[in-house]
Parts: sequence; structure tokens; C-alpha cells
Amino acid sequence: MHNRQSLLNRITNPKYIMVYATIGIFLIVYAFGAFMYSDKGFLTIRTFANLFIDNAYYGISAVGMTMVLITGGIDLSVGAVASLTGMFIAYGTTVLGLHPMTCILASLVMGVGLGLLMGWVIHYLNVPPFITTLTGMFFARGVCSLISRESIDIHHPFIDALAGWKIYLMKYANGQWVRIRPIAFINFNVILFVIMIIIGTFILQRTRFGRNIYAIGGNEQSASLMGLPAGRTKILVYGFNGLCSVLAGVSYALYVKSGWNLSLQGGELEVITCAVIGGTLLTGGVGSMIGTLFGVLLKSVIPALITFNGNLLSWWGKIATGLLLLLFICIQRFVVTSAGKRK
Amino acid sequence: MSELLSMKGITIEFPGVKALDNVDFSLNAGEIHSLLGENGAGKSTLIKCLTGVNHMDEGKIYLEGKEIRPSSPMEAIETGISTVFQEVNLCPNLSVAENIFVGRQPMKHRQINWREINRRAEELMSRFHLDIDVTRPLSYYSTAIQQMTSIARAVDIQAKVLILDEPTSSLDENEVQLLFNVMRELKDNGMGIIFITHFLDQIYAVSDRMTILRNGHLVGTYGIKELSKVELVTKMVGKDMDVIFNLKRADVKPDSRITLQANHIGDSSHIKDISLTLKEGELLGFAGLLGSGRTETAEMLFGASRIVQGEIILDGTKLNLTKPFDAIKAKIAFCPEDRKRDGIIGDLSIRENIMLAVQSRKGFMKPMTRQEQTDLANKYITLLGIATPDCEKKAGELSGGNQQKVILARWMAAEPEVLILDEPTRGIDIGAKAEIQRLMLEMCGSGVSVIFISSELDEIIRCSNRIVIMRDREKVAEIDGSSCTQQDILKIIAEGAA
Repeated sequence: MHNRQSLLNRITNPKYIMVYATIGIFLIVYAFGAFMYSDKGFLTIRTFANLFIDNAYYGISAVGMTMVLITGGIDLSVGAVASLTGMFIAYGTTVLGLHPMTCILASLVMGVGLGLLMGWVIHYLNVPPFITTLTGMFFARGVCSLISRESIDIHHPFIDALAGWKIYLMKYANGQWVRIRPIAFINFNVILFVIMIIIGTFILQRTRFGRNIYAIGGNEQSASLMGLPAGRTKILVYGFNGLCSVLAGVSYALYVKSGWNLSLQGGELEVITCAVIGGTLLTGGVGSMIGTLFGVLLKSVIPALITFNGNLLSWWGKIATGLLLLLFICIQRFVVTSAGKRK
Repeated sequence: MSELLSMKGITIEFPGVKALDNVDFSLNAGEIHSLLGENGAGKSTLIKCLTGVNHMDEGKIYLEGKEIRPSSPMEAIETGISTVFQEVNLCPNLSVAENIFVGRQPMKHRQINWREINRRAEELMSRFHLDIDVTRPLSYYSTAIQQMTSIARAVDIQAKVLILDEPTSSLDENEVQLLFNVMRELKDNGMGIIFITHFLDQIYAVSDRMTILRNGHLVGTYGIKELSKVELVTKMVGKDMDVIFNLKRADVKPDSRITLQANHIGDSSHIKDISLTLKEGELLGFAGLLGSGRTETAEMLFGASRIVQGEIILDGTKLNLTKPFDAIKAKIAFCPEDRKRDGIIGDLSIRENIMLAVQSRKGFMKPMTRQEQTDLANKYITLLGIATPDCEKKAGELSGGNQQKVILARWMAAEPEVLILDEPTRGIDIGAKAEIQRLMLEMCGSGVSVIFISSELDEIIRCSNRIVIMRDREKVAEIDGSSCTQQDILKIIAEGAA
């Protein structure tokens, strides 16, 4: 009998290659940082926690983006929708005097509604996702500017409390809990990011809906012939991505405490980059949340390295990210072709 | 035996044509029933009607005595009718196990129970005597295993009726036997199987009864022992068999000049040291199993894959082929195996498809006039007997045999010196097959040298002057076509050198 239970056999399953590549490269880059800048404190937990704090909003959005990419689609509207969420919160609380929760609720209706609508257009009117979501992006960005063309600060006790809330990382020493040194903490955004990754993993691995996402990305026609609800699944995926965009917008608003019509421009591309270097195939069918998590970390460790170096221009970060993306696209190409050759 | 499925008076009209006219069909439980007919006879339409893709205008379908009217593939599956299509309709990125269970995964605590999925998939595959790791992606395995996975899914759904639409066209001999064993086992368990294939031997090997369709009409239903092969073909095409099988081998004189010569060529994968010569007006057959290197060799001769060793000589001059365009300029033509992917451009009209190669050789700076194009297309439509109202019909809308003729026309119009045909008769019916063979031989008669690649030994033997036999990416033998039998070739393929 073929022993599929054996650990080695499980580990060498080709479906994990992309995740291994991401984790492997992250570890190499991290080890490089540790080797070069350990005297400046690169290896501390604080540095690691900051990777999460500074990129949580991208990570939250990448959860939804990963699912969209697995279906073989793409969503260019996420940056604009997140920005619009920020505008809703800023304008609602500061100008209209509403409670932030009301604004977030309105944003959710807007974001999820727009997502579902785009999904419907993509499936039933058969418009390519690129065009459909490009339209969505212009729409959301336009509404941002309609609301205000200037940055609006957010001042509200609820937002201040939520943004200021943090859990200090502790250690047990000399019979009592003390804060670790240098001080490290995680905040609401980090927890939201981690929760979204867990929810995303659960959906993708443990529900029929999640597996249908993979099936559609593998071969949509086959999926329909096998009786899977392709239309419903795609619409819900874009809806879920709308939800993630809004949550990313909330998280970004907490991070910068303002709303601005031009914020997060190009954010959608950053998010797609995170997913792709996390091993998600742009042609669909392959990807995972754990990969995306490491994709976010890998993408955010580069600016951290540049900060630690202190002499490099921050634009080197863009170049390094570009090279990483190229590397991953080459690896994907290689994996796809070698899978085809084996037949 | 009890009647499982019965279709009565099925009539389906498409704009302008009656695709099916008052056709009856019946299937017993525990029976393998072959459905036969040329392309366009209405087999697929009948199947599509049963699986809810097409809707019938008249007629009734009964499953176990109850009337059914499937309106979508999903509904057909739910009533117990499952289909395994010619092209594997599964998801290559999912594991074998998941492909069997996706959409109906066993759940535990409202979560997918992966352990159960993998265990049951392993059980199913071992019923088919396949000992494989079901957790690996489907794309990791051969087409045969993918077909089996597709069948396993149908079996696990507990289909009462299983439709196998050309399941064997991409399988090798052993894999076909494996499939037949599975079919017989399913039959013994009371399943009714509708089997569609172009291989007559396979029909006789496995089925109990057969139903023949022609031009949308029912010709009749017969027990397998009632009809001989020749009678069967006559009923399918409605023509006398002599016309079809009376083909004359190309006539090559011993002193004909050598047109194409390959000396010890090899590519960057694993093909090494292939040598062959081709004379004017000669038909050289390539025999061998799938993956034996036939196609790769042809691609080297056409410049589609790079030669890393050896040389190719055409009419005494050494060729430097780095891309197909070089070969086209040197008057070498190539009809690839997968006509949908590499040959026919479905969205272009027949006229545009035919003129492509001519135009490419003339250069795009000297466009042909519309009138020239139409004349050219019409000439070949008549010459090859392509069934179409006019030359502006989209090539993608033609049947398989007619598409193949369009590709042939494209290269005939380019007036090649060497024509390489890779499986030109695959997946087309016997009448069209004979016609393609006739055209090939006619081209030889006019001085073209033809290389003919096919998995069907009988047609290779029938047409070839010489036969090159490939095995494990090597040329193992070259034999005379007029004095060999299928057994000779099979023996060489099985044992290596002659």
C-alpha cells in the first residue's frame, strides 16, 4: 500500500512548493538582517512585532485578495475602497458628528455591496475582472474626492481608545510578569490581521465554499460541469474581498488617524504583491493564507532592513520588492512548467 | 435484464437542421452499450440531451420507468446520470481525492473531513487497482489516471447511468485494458454504461449491444455478434466499404531523389540520434506509443524545437532551422497533433484559415486580394469536400473531420515539398479518416513527401511505404510498409530492436 501517511511523503507533496519558497526566502532575508544589524537590535521581538504593526492593513486586504486571485480573478478596487472607508470615518465623525461605528457600518454596506456587484458583473455579464474592478476603483476614488479633497483629521474618543489600545508583550522573571525590553506590543490592527488570516485559512481549507474557490481557479468550466456553483462562489469571493478592503481601511484609519482622498494610491498593487510573493498564482488555482502571511512579512522586512542600514534611500525598497516579485514569478513559471512536463 | 433507461422519439432541431429525428435508445442495467456514428451523426447531441445541456423539442426520457427531463448537468447528475468527457473535466490543481469529492465533501463538526475524503478516495482507486498517493495534485498524474479519477467520481456519486464519451482516445494499450476491466466490474454491479468511441476493435472488445446513428436518424440497435466490422462501418457511413478501404499505396521509384534527410538529430530533452531519409512522393509512417518521441522528432524537423546535435538536409542543402518560419520558407509543412490548440484558429473563417500559410510564405508586405483568397478557399473546399455552406463560416464551428481538412488545405495551398502530419485522423470518424488518407496519398502522387504519425497501426500499414518505429525516444527500427503486419510492429515496440 502506498504510504501517504509517512511524514516525508506529506512534506514532499508538490502542492506545498510555493509556500516553502516564501518561508525559505523570508528566513534567508531575516537571517541576513540578523547577521548584519543584530547590534542595532534587528533580532528583537520589537522589530518583529513592528513588521506586523506597520503592515497590518495590507495584510488584512491581502486575505481577501488571495481568495480573488485563487479564483483566477483580480481586484484593483481594494486601495480605493479602503481609502473611501477612511473618508467615511473621518467625514462622519469629524464633520457630521456621527459615532465611528455608524460610519464603519455604512462603509461595510458600501464595500461589500460594491464587491458583490462587481462579482455579479464579472460572472453574469462576463466582463474581465481587470476592467470591472478598475471601474470600481475609479468609482470609489471619485466618491472619496466628492466627500473632500483635503485631508480630514479624526478626533473621537472611540477611535483614540481603539488606536491607543495595546497589549504589551510580557515575560515571567523573578516570580512576576514584566514587560520585555526593549518594549514590544501588539495593537488592535495586529489582532485583526491575525484573526482574518485564521478566518481565511478556515474558509479555504475547511469549507466547501473555500474548496470551490480552488476548483474554479483550476478550471472554471470543469467546476461547473462537476455541478459546483461557480457564479455564487465568485460573487461571494468579491463580496468577501470588499469586506476585507473595508476592514483594511478601518485599520489604516486607526494607523494614521485621518482620512484623505488620495491615501493608499497604488495600495492594490502592494496587496497583490504580498499575495504573489506569498505563493499565490496569478493564473488562479494555487495559494494559501499561510503563504500570504509570510508574503506580507517578507515584503515588510525589506523597508525594515533599509531603515536599519540608515544610509540607503528608501526607494531601494521598491527595487528590492520588484526583484522579489520577479524571482517569485520565475519560480512559479518553473513550478508550473515542470508540473506539466512530468506527464 | 431490466431496462434502465429509455429514450423515445427524441427530436432536436437547431436553426435550419434537424440534429436528431425521432431517435429511440434503450439501455439495460448491467449493460455496456456502444453509441456509434460518424461525426455529426447526432451522438453528442443525444448525449447532451440526456445530460441536460441541450433541450429536446419532442420525445420522452424514462429512467427506471419514471419520466425525467434534465435541464442542467447538475440535475442530470442528481438523477443518476454521470458523464466522463473526452477531455478530462476535472481541476488539475486539486488533489486526486478532492477531485472525486469536491462539492459533496463529507463533513464533521461542520468542517470538511479530509481524513475521510482521503481514505474513501484511496478505497475507490484501489478498486481500480491503482495504488497512488491520492493527496497529490491531479496534474501530477497521467491522463489515464485522470480519466480513472473522473470515473471514480461518477462511481462514488452512485450513478445508475455512466456515459463515457471517447474516454480512450488519449490512453495507451495497457491503460485501455485497465479501463475496460473497470467498465466490466461496474457493469457486473448493475450499472448501465453508454460507451462512445471511434475505435471499432474496442467496441467489439467490451460492449454488449450497439446503436448506430446516421445524419440524425436511428439506423438500428444490434447485438454485438449480429454485425461484422464491415457491416457495421457500412451502416455507419451508408456507403460501400470498398470505396473507403481501397486505397493505393504511393508509388515510389527506387531512383527517386531524396528530398529530406536527417542525420543523427537530437533535441535538448531526451531525443537523441534520430536519422531518416525521405524520398520524393514517399509516405513515411511513424509508429510508436504515445510519448515515444514521434511528435518531438516531427517538431525538430519543423524547427519548432531546437536541434542540439546532428543536421537536417533538404534537397542537398543543410538547413538551419531555429523557428517554424524557417521551415515554412524551406517548404516544410507541419499539421500538429492538437488541432484545437495548435492548428485551427476557431474564430477565423475557413478562408482565413486556409490562406494563413500561403500568406506567411509570401510575406505580409504582399497581401493577397480578397478575390484571390476566396478563389483559393473555394478551390480547396471543393477539392477536399469540406462540408460548409460557404468559405466565410468560422472554422471553430466545423466538425472535427472538417477542421482537419481545413488544416490540410492550408498546407496543400502552401505547396510544400515535405508535409508532416501528426495524428491527422485522431478523433474523427471512419469516413472522414478514409478521406484524409486518400488526400495524403494523392499528395504523394503529386510529388510531395509525407511523414505520417499515427497511433493506429492499421492505417499506418495501409498507407506507408516505409515505417519508422520509435520506442523510448529512440528510433528502434525501420521496416517496409507493404510487407509487414500489425504483429510485427507490436513486437518491435514491445521488445525493442527488430
